Amino acid sequence: MALPKRIIKETERLMAEPVQGISAIPHEENLRHFDVVIFGPSQSPYEGGVFKAELFLPEDYPMAPPKVRFLTKIYHPNIDRLGRICLDVLKSNWSPALQIRTILLSIQALLGAPNPDDPLANDVAQQWKEDQNKAIATAKEWTEKYAKP
Amino acid sequence: MKFGHVFKECLRNEGFPPEWVDSAISYSQLKKCINKLTSELAQVGLDPATLGKLLKHVEDYNASTDQNDDQDRPFEYILSGDDTPGLTKERKPFQPKLLFYVNEATGALHSAKLDAETKRKLQMLAVEMGMTDLRVFEEPDHDSLTSLDSNPDPTSPTNDLPHTNGPRKRPGYRTVEIPLTSDTEFFTKLSTELSGLEALQEKEKQKMHAEIDDLGKQMAKLTDPDRRANKKLLSVWRQIFQLYLEEGVFFGTTETDHTAHDADKAAKRFQEFCNKIAQAGLVDKFKKKENIQALNTFIHINQELLQGLRFGEINRTAMLKILKKFDKQTALGVKAAFPKRIEYPEFSEHLAKAVCAEVTTQVLSHVPQLDDYSCPMCMDLKWRPVRLSCGHVFCIRCLIVMQTNKQHNCPLCREKTVVDANSAENLDLELADFLKKWFPDEVKAKQKYNELMAGIDQYGEVYAEKCTVM
Ligand SMILES: [Zn+2]
Ligand SMILES: [Zn+2]
Repeated sequence: MALPKRIIKETERLMAEPVQGISAIPHEENLRHFDVVIFGPSQSPYEGGVFKAELFLPEDYPMAPPKVRFLTKIYHPNIDRLGRICLDVLKSNWSPALQIRTILLSIQALLGAPNPDDPLANDVAQQWKEDQNKAIATAKEWTEKYAKP
Repeated sequence: MKFGHVFKECLRNEGFPPEWVDSAISYSQLKKCINKLTSELAQVGLDPATLGKLLKHVEDYNASTDQNDDQDRPFEYILSGDDTPGLTKERKPFQPKLLFYVNEATGALHSAKLDAETKRKLQMLAVEMGMTDLRVFEEPDHDSLTSLDSNPDPTSPTNDLPHTNGPRKRPGYRTVEIPLTSDTEFFTKLSTELSGLEALQEKEKQKMHAEIDDLGKQMAKLTDPDRRANKKLLSVWRQIFQLYLEEGVFFGTTETDHTAHDADKAAKRFQEFCNKIAQAGLVDKFKKKENIQALNTFIHINQELLQGLRFGEINRTAMLKILKKFDKQTALGVKAAFPKRIEYPEFSEHLAKAVCAEVTTQVLSHVPQLDDYSCPMCMDLKWRPVRLSCGHVFCIRCLIVMQTNKQHNCPLCREKTVVDANSAENLDLELADFLKKWFPDEVKAKQKYNELMAGIDQYGEVYAEKCTVM
């Protein structure tokens, strides 16, 4: 099947007007597969970190949401060891009117505002709730250790 | 290179109309005023270094109410007695005053920072002024009311209460004004010129308004989809305007760049736009003279706007520079207070905003852009358009896809409007006619695509392969 017009248009716009602090570049051999880099938002424990992720547009996109996974290790209550992300717009709250761009922005926002009450990584969320300062320190440590280019 | 020189060169070489050049800020004359003022101040011993130590700035008022500070800094400079910004658009004439305070009882001027010679000169001045023009600013109910009554000068405005921005009351002190004339000359000149620039801007705006109006009418004729001769040209105009909109010449259109551009950036963007239409060979597609003329007018309007932007910018720079010079050479510290008072800065940006809005409504609107009629799901033309009961419109193909995938809610507002929609009843016929008229090629292409996809739905992928072979 040829690439739907929508994916072509979204890609063009992502290239022409990249989102600030995020880059998303499609693979040459598979234009549904994007290499994503998200820069840790300032004033968050991820500040200064460069986080790699992959984004894949399934066959039924945009009926189904893009699949996104972090490749860089990150200490975050809503991101598990495998890099899977717990974010409503990627699941039940997905709408075909949302785009790659809006999803990436939501992920960036999630880094800025971790939400331990809706966890994916249960152990991290637990620590986050018990001792937030310590959790933030660990997140900073991990950023330093794994997310520095 | 000195700014005065750069400014002059710029006015001479950038092709501004003579009328504009005449209205520009007269930087060198204002500079002369400053020089005169410096010598006036020097005559009373107030070189910038001395004055800088003595002057209490308006912005210091809130920061400190310390009495000692008042004594250390017995001077004040006020631009005008009356300043209520926002009430009237007209600028009040400037009546700048350099004041200092002397002890009412002794006539003495206290400041450790003053050398004996300057002190003597100023005391002399106070005595001298006291005979003719001594002004006392005190509330009538104050203790020193008696001294006010005993003021021998009948012209003294005894009930002249200080204005909001006037000198501050200092109990037990008299206010003496240092006689200066060059500063009044400076500010009167500068503010007259700024008013002149504003008037010029208004005039230019009217002129461009008329030009845009004319071009709009011309565009309406040239792109009328009911005239067969226009059919091919419509898509050329559409491409031109699309490139124009994408370039965002005067204002950014993305999340990261949504502000007004300065003259340099706008000029670059506009050049980029011109290059792109040249590269795409779009001009060559215009066979008829009227189309080329209209394009030239469009380009001309943009160039005028660029020039206006540039002119506003250099004048604003000239204004800021001359005020900086004023402060540096006199230490009177007005730069911070001045621009706020006269509301000059947005000058050309307002013009650009107004003109761009007009270009959009009057000219670009004659050629609807595909982006404004694309389906939010497939981002292709919304053909055939189905309007859901929530008011959102999708192409029929996407409606079918949503319904087969049990996407019951509208992707835009999440209302449950997809499930009940039905292609016959929800078809927006009016919009369909509009699309057919303005986007004939896109409609054909989308129609073909929709048919192909319907075939695949029915017979599977083989249908597509078979079809593409044909
Ligand atoms: Zn659609
Ligand atoms: Zn809706």
